[in-house]
Amino acid sequence: MPYDVSIERLQLFSLFDLKGPRQGLTDWAGDVLNHLPKAPNQLSREDGVELCHTGANRWLLRAEIGMETDLEAKLRLETAPPEISIVKISDTMTFFRVTGEDAIQVMSIGCPLDLHADAFAAQAVSFTEFFNCRALVLRCRGGFDVAVEQSFADMIADYLDRATI
Amino acid sequence: MLNIPCPFCGQRNESEFAYGGPVKPDRPQPDKVSNDQWVDYLTQVPNPLGPVEERWWHVKGCGTWLTIWRDTRTHDIVEEPGDAG
Ligand SMILES: [Zn+2]
Repeated sequence: MPYDVSIERLQLFSLFDLKGPRQGLTDWAGDVLNHLPKAPNQLSREDGVELCHTGANRWLLRAEIGMETDLEAKLRLETAPPEISIVKISDTMTFFRVTGEDAIQVMSIGCPLDLHADAFAAQAVSFTEFFNCRALVLRCRGGFDVAVEQSFADMIADYLDRATI
Repeated sequence: MLNIPCPFCGQRNESEFAYGGPVKPDRPQPDKVSNDQWVDYLTQVPNPLGPVEERWWHVKGCGTWLTIWRDTRTHDIVEEPGDAG
């Protein structure tokens, strides 16, 4: 029986890889990064900017692509002090949106995380694996966003097609 | 399949990790030990029947390197890593 799910390959997001101590990052670009989440594998959203705490001293910023120029100006990548690192990685990851009644069933085919709401709540985000690729997983309305390194995107699209026949 | 405790992420499936091998003893100064001791250091990999100290890399997750003690007889993780750096 086919899964009740819809899968959409999303347009590019504006993505920035942020490394360094949180104080150093907020001191440098406080008006964008003032809501850096403290808890591991949590995200916070403010003014269209999502900040995901994906590792020790490491965050990922995600926003709509239309915000990129403004974000670049505010983050001042080129002149950032040496104790922090801000790198634009917008074209390195491809996002898929998996939504619908059976979204969690389809996700569980490729991902070992427990994605039930009590284990993976609304603000949860994590790098994990998806069909053997390193992948970022977070919730969206009605399902999950999952991102893989862009060169694997066609392969993952194919896996998702086959998994949901 | 092991569940490996990551200091940043908590318990995660073994498939998210890369095995970094057993922790070797500290490298001796080659000119301060006998030839036999030096060859032993270069060629002997710790492989006890019981707890072994191992390095694992959470390569598909948060990127942390961690150290655990795993009992080779049971696969039980008998000592977990400390906090993430
Ligand atoms: Zn981890």
